[in-house]
Amino acid sequence: MSNYGTTRHHPAAAAPKDRVDYHTTLFRRLSWEGTVPLEIRVDPQELPANSDRGLECYFMQAPRVSYLPLLMPEIRRFLMDVVFDEAAAKSLKEEEWWFECDDGTLLKWHWPIGLIYDSHSILASIRPGASLSATMATPLRLILHLASPPTDKLLLSPSAESCKQAFMGQLKEADFIRWGNTKRITGLRKVDQDGLWEGIKEHNFDDYWRVASKVTPTTAPNRPQSPGPPPSSVSMHGRPPSADASGPSERDGAYNVRSVPVRVYLPDGPVIQDLVPPILEDGTPHTLSHYLSTHVPLLFPPRPPAPPPSRSNPHPQPPSVSELAYPLIQGVLTPPESEMAWLGACLAGADGWLNICVGISKK
Amino acid sequence: MSETVTPEATARPLPSWATPDTPEINEDALKALETYKKRDPSKVVVRFKAVGNAPIMKQNFYKITASNRFQAVIQFLRKELGWKAGDPLFTYINLAFSPAPDDTVSNLFKSFCTDGHLIVNYSTTAAWG
Repeated sequence: MSNYGTTRHHPAAAAPKDRVDYHTTLFRRLSWEGTVPLEIRVDPQELPANSDRGLECYFMQAPRVSYLPLLMPEIRRFLMDVVFDEAAAKSLKEEEWWFECDDGTLLKWHWPIGLIYDSHSILASIRPGASLSATMATPLRLILHLASPPTDKLLLSPSAESCKQAFMGQLKEADFIRWGNTKRITGLRKVDQDGLWEGIKEHNFDDYWRVASKVTPTTAPNRPQSPGPPPSSVSMHGRPPSADASGPSERDGAYNVRSVPVRVYLPDGPVIQDLVPPILEDGTPHTLSHYLSTHVPLLFPPRPPAPPPSRSNPHPQPPSVSELAYPLIQGVLTPPESEMAWLGACLAGADGWLNICVGISKK
Repeated sequence: MSETVTPEATARPLPSWATPDTPEINEDALKALETYKKRDPSKVVVRFKAVGNAPIMKQNFYKITASNRFQAVIQFLRKELGWKAGDPLFTYINLAFSPAPDDTVSNLFKSFCTDGHLIVNYSTTAAWG
């Protein structure tokens, strides 16, 4: 059993459902506070005349849960204040700006920054001749172009508004995957829906989770086969007034969703998405290693079973196999025994999706 | 394999998974990646349903290659409807949400198919935005 999922094993009566447990909040906060280093350089051939060359590079730590269009005001302020002269600043149209990675791949506006960082870092690590330094935590080098965006490949316009629409679409898709409908998201008041996006924009954990907790599954110990907590006898006082009027209940538990919203990103390859039931048919929790060995078996071959215990070896370990690949979630190497339901509730991105980037091991 | 410790490695200890003993990548892993990169030639049935004032199509069912991105479905639909660039068109799955344009038809079908079809609703105004 994963130590990371311990909260689920607490006795059911220990905590009223509306009290967010320590582990859940901790991991949600760690995911939220994660940042990645970016180096942003204006394409030297597109620098307007009279730009202050030598300063056209900007470094920043960007939140993993944020999006490129939300970084634009800061980048723009730097360029306008320091690099471009006034005439150039006036002639540039921000809606024509777009990003490329230094390996020539386009950066999509609607991918979370953490996902962009992890997938590109993995790609850089397997490129022929990749040096050790390429695999270390170096900034992701982005090239900012100031004109002629390849609109058909970027798929979205660079505005924060279209990014917000795409984000809401992803939230609803995640909601549909979990429950078979989007009632939780569409049931939010407009001000709350906007609050989610504002929380990301301001990188404010409390603002975001004040709303997100109404639509994200809880990790409380509710399993279909467990007795579950006493119905609504749990005291009502102490629940914040903003809490869902119907009250959180077993139906909101991470282990009761139809499926966990998960996408697996292979290096330079396809994105794998399928239904991920939180509990397998044999009643055991669906673990990361089970998921990867059933969906990406060539990279995560099923492990041979451990030999039967004996007197000399009462706790036998399965024979070790050479590892071909490893899973990164929020940039963190994730233990294979992690449970998908718990990962989905605690390490998903702000859009509700659990993104698993697959890296390739070195010999 | 030399045991020399480079300045880079001493500067900052790395977790074991990030420290390559040799810079070589496992050939089996690369072969596996190539296999997964092959495009799935199978097709799935997409059913288009107009919402609101959107014009209906002569034919509602189309077989679409599963490895296509949803963006290709949108472009196909625009062409069938004779939509010009800039004409508004909103697309939804199961009357519920707009998928990301880079979702593949295959992934959407696996997660959301109804009676063997992927139902794509289209509208000229934002309906479930």
